[in-house]
Amino acid sequence: MAGATIDHMISLTILIAALLVAMMTYNGLFATAIDYDRNRQVANKAIDIINTICLSPGNPTDWGEINGIVSCFGLQDPRVGGYSLSPYSIMRLNTGSQLVEYPKDSGVFYNNISTNCGDAILTPIGDCVNYTTAAELLGVNGTYGFGVDITPTLNVNVSQVTTNPHLTLNVAVSGSGLPLSGATLRYYLFHMESGSPYPYITTHPPNPPGVAEIGSSGSVDIEFSDVTSGDPVYAFVVYASLGGVNGVGYHANNTIADDTFVVPLIDGYEDGYLNLIFAHSWEFLHPGDEATANYNASFYTLASDFQLQRCVIPNSVGLVNSTAESPITTQIPASETGILIVSYNASDDLGSIIVPWGVGALGVSASFGGDPTGYDFVATELRQVTIDGISYHVKVSAWKLGS
Amino acid sequence: MRTVEVFFVIIILLGAFAITTQFAVLPSPSQAFGTNLRELSQSTLETLDAQGTLSQTVFKDYNDDAWGDLQKALSASLPPNIVYNLNVYNLSTNLDGVATYHLEHSIFDANLGADSDASSLLVTSPDVTFTQDPQKVGESTDNPITLYILNCSDANGWWITGYTGQSLAADVYNLLSPYFTNTMLVNSTYELGLLLNGTLLPDGVESVNNAVVVNTFGEAVPIPDDYCEDGLNETEGFDPTHDIENGGTYAKYFHTLGSLTREHNWTWVSIVGYPFYYVTNTNNPHISSSQNGYGIYGMDDVRQVGINAFLQGLDDAHYSYDETGTATEVGVVNLTPYVRDDRCNYYGIYPAPYQTSSRAITEDILDDYDLIANQELFVRPNDNPVTLYIDESDYIPVTTYRHTERGALTAIGLTRIPDIRVTALALLVYYNPTIYKTVFGASGTSVLVTLQLGQQGGT
Repeated sequence: MAGATIDHMISLTILIAALLVAMMTYNGLFATAIDYDRNRQVANKAIDIINTICLSPGNPTDWGEINGIVSCFGLQDPRVGGYSLSPYSIMRLNTGSQLVEYPKDSGVFYNNISTNCGDAILTPIGDCVNYTTAAELLGVNGTYGFGVDITPTLNVNVSQVTTNPHLTLNVAVSGSGLPLSGATLRYYLFHMESGSPYPYITTHPPNPPGVAEIGSSGSVDIEFSDVTSGDPVYAFVVYASLGGVNGVGYHANNTIADDTFVVPLIDGYEDGYLNLIFAHSWEFLHPGDEATANYNASFYTLASDFQLQRCVIPNSVGLVNSTAESPITTQIPASETGILIVSYNASDDLGSIIVPWGVGALGVSASFGGDPTGYDFVATELRQVTIDGISYHVKVSAWKLGS
Repeated sequence: MRTVEVFFVIIILLGAFAITTQFAVLPSPSQAFGTNLRELSQSTLETLDAQGTLSQTVFKDYNDDAWGDLQKALSASLPPNIVYNLNVYNLSTNLDGVATYHLEHSIFDANLGADSDASSLLVTSPDVTFTQDPQKVGESTDNPITLYILNCSDANGWWITGYTGQSLAADVYNLLSPYFTNTMLVNSTYELGLLLNGTLLPDGVESVNNAVVVNTFGEAVPIPDDYCEDGLNETEGFDPTHDIENGGTYAKYFHTLGSLTREHNWTWVSIVGYPFYYVTNTNNPHISSSQNGYGIYGMDDVRQVGINAFLQGLDDAHYSYDETGTATEVGVVNLTPYVRDDRCNYYGIYPAPYQTSSRAITEDILDDYDLIANQELFVRPNDNPVTLYIDESDYIPVTTYRHTERGALTAIGLTRIPDIRVTALALLVYYNPTIYKTVFGASGTSVLVTLQLGQQGGT
């Protein structure tokens, strides 16, 4: 009798153990399936988001050129369609990068789409679309997080080789780690020289742009025989193209270490024009140089075939000082992509800044969105787009919020 | 004994587990993620062709340097772990219209793995211009036809909710003027009077014969002062002996329109609703102060007598005040397969394929007035005892009624809001002008580019 009972207990124990093992195994299978399904949803959401961003201009369609309320989010360029992004809408994104307050202690903050102050015209964050608003407009607020990285397809690196006996620059073009031999270059050099009281700018070559070709090593030296000063101040812009892929690079050289004496800020949109303020960097960079600066500003619109055309702007020369009481203002066309070049004399030295209006003009990168750090699964999607004819990659990352 | 049974149970459990795991091969959660290669491929093709570079390259000789540049561009623009295979197919069409694709050239950088996807782009040669020239209506018989569009500033519309007669006139102009040698807007009821007198003529045109007259005012028809009460042609427009409680009727005006349509061999077009239901003139003292019962002033109702009077005139019959109902509601109707699949594609006009017909016209008029119905645009509904409609199959929603001798009426018996594309389609189906198109499939004019992408190194 006792033997049968023991026999019964042992068999029951083994049975329960086998059941537990089976249940754990099936639980693992189910958990794997559920994880897969959840991740699949995230991956699909990433596709939804990138399609919305790349293939919809949003509403109003020209929201990047006006300061109205955005009721639908998208970055497509409505003038071009397809996989083409608006160069202006991207500049209205609050990228969460370095903010500057102008005037000092005014509570008015400006946003830069890039990480460095002076790499782009600063936009008041009140006019920007922030991450929360974009998430609400995309219908993912509170359920999914996302991030957008917009980067040029081609890396166009410019470096100064020598200034003796004349200025020589090296341009290297690569994409996906490969040197792009045979790429055609179109370039401009804006040479700044001291004047009284304002500096002046000469363009080499005047127009059309200079042309060169990248050699088999992936780079080429470009010489400027008429720029012979020992330490020239200049801004160099080069557009590279090959087989339908286009890129842009630029390089500036100043004799002033702190090269942000003059900082352009957007002061609003008016009748198709962009109101700009030339602020003094002392307002942002404390401690900084308080010296006044005589400036000479030019705006060049980017025409077809990457030719630059000078556009007359008001107050193209003037004096910028460190008080914001009577700021210098100017206007540029809101719907014309281009670059703003400002040369200035300060403390007997010569400096310059070069900033784009429209990200494509200088191949500026932009990052926008939340931080995926700490999430188990992040899906990414990649598309190729053009912005003002320049080739870009758009990468969207998406992740599930909450449990 | 129980131990043996338990072992049996354990064996069954383990067997079930083994079989389940054998067949239920679940993917790893990490495999849920993979770049959508098809859309990446599509965006790559479109960006390469954004400035026409791809279009130029694929038509060049295979030894041209442009092919090498294209390969470098693909390698430079795609991520390092993505491999590609770009194929170019020449597209040609044989005499039967069957398109064939021949592989012309390929470029690739590595063998694609098992996981790949592709997209395609139809590229046309930059050296070829594609054109589409419509034949002018009447051109084939050396008898060019003028299109008159009523655009009267002194008239109101009815059953054109959301539009005005003038805005619809602009739409008709845009849709139909390419098909006519001459198009003329009739900008006032005075000009309409000139048209009815036969003196409103475009330059170089000698008569108003054979014209098409499109009334864009819906159920209302503009009436010139001369045809109104106390006007010079009052006897041709106003009938004081009927509808006396309302001070007479303008049914006679529609009889005159029918007679003129016959005399000049016009095609009169009613764009929506019950044809010839009202007359409208916002400046005439006898009409401007009257309204149609819905607050639209400058309008006097003739009701169902209007179309009967018009058809009498078209049939060269004497005017007779006839209150017989001619149109009725038949519910939702669908485009005929021929119109939807053939004519819509041919002319590039795509109205909504199903619409509500609330003023379909009885086919009795064919016998009563010696008319022949042209191709019907919508399928007549079957008789349905469940609905309140009666004998739906006896009513024609949309067609052009041609008199056996001269003149025609195009009646769009659909409900408001008007779909002006149906009007355009009805006229084009009636006149059937040819469109001369450059053939996209002609050899050497188009190629199909496919880009297949594969991902290396897993996900």
